[in-house]
Amino acid sequence: MRIVTSRGLGAALMLLNLPVMADGLAIDKVYHPYVDPLVWELEYRAIAADDNPATGQGRSQVHRLSIGRAVAPNLALEAYLVGEDNRDGGFSVSDYEVEALWQLTEQGEYALDYGLLFELEKSRKDDAWESAVSLLLERELGRYSVTANLELGYEWGDDIRDEWETGLALQSRYRYRQELEPALELYMGEDTVGIGPAGLGTFRLGPGRSLHWEAAVILGVDNTTPDYTLRALLEYEF
Amino acid sequence: MTARRRRVRSGLLLCLLLPGLGLSGAVLAAPEFHLVIRDHLFEPDEVVVPANTRVKLVVTNEDPTPEEFESYELNREKVILGGRKAVIFIGPLAPGVYPFFGEFNPQTAQGRVIAE
Repeated sequence: MRIVTSRGLGAALMLLNLPVMADGLAIDKVYHPYVDPLVWELEYRAIAADDNPATGQGRSQVHRLSIGRAVAPNLALEAYLVGEDNRDGGFSVSDYEVEALWQLTEQGEYALDYGLLFELEKSRKDDAWESAVSLLLERELGRYSVTANLELGYEWGDDIRDEWETGLALQSRYRYRQELEPALELYMGEDTVGIGPAGLGTFRLGPGRSLHWEAAVILGVDNTTPDYTLRALLEYEF
Repeated sequence: MTARRRRVRSGLLLCLLLPGLGLSGAVLAAPEFHLVIRDHLFEPDEVVVPANTRVKLVVTNEDPTPEEFESYELNREKVILGGRKAVIFIGPLAPGVYPFFGEFNPQTAQGRVIAE
């Protein structure tokens, strides 16, 4: 889920006796509207962000570990453990998350390929919930592929301010070769506008096995987004 | 509501309208081509399709085991369960040769699409 809970902000606002907010970075990853049946997926994601002007939080890291599998030809489920590692403290599991990706159309059947992503996240210690639904769109233009994720989310609970949030993630990638595809990514959300270069690719390890990687440097383009956010992803399919 | 929120929400609204535009581009009458997977081989192993035209590949897997039609050049991955049929839309393709293979039997299940 791209709405990253800000614990530093939460602590500061509790000190001020104000409602706790959960706004944070909208930078995570760009989802593609396709389901790969018959395989298990193990995924690790890391996000490291510079000081966040919108929340006052210093440099921060978020790590995600997940396992997923398609349960139908067009439906995949994934379960996550989310951990946070701040400079001020140690590392701990902060949230649990489940998500379902529903592929709506056959790839290439229409001018755009469509999918839906449903996410539900629960803070481990706090009464804070987040849910979101995202429309996933992809368009193939020769060797280029353009992907858009349009997210509508809602946060609620005793330890979080109930509110709606929106997010937009765009990725344009050039299919140079399977192991290396240069890309450009754009993220927009509450208190986040960032753009930057990315790279991704897949290494075949044998029949039914592969290793997918992604990396990006997202630069903040307004005064509420961290100057830079680094993201990396490794996914093993088997 | 901040100006940025308004911008994002306007963008979302615009993008939500895009599906309707996309659906209007549906492939209603794409030329159809057939492939069979038998004994972990593609038959035929060469399919000639018109260039610059979106086409529909109907792949029938006559083996009892699943196979995955895979081609980086065609930007397609599609699992076909044993004894089942699947539809794969490809193109429009520039003239050229586009290899494909079976992910689960890559040594034997190989073929190519020729766009001309």
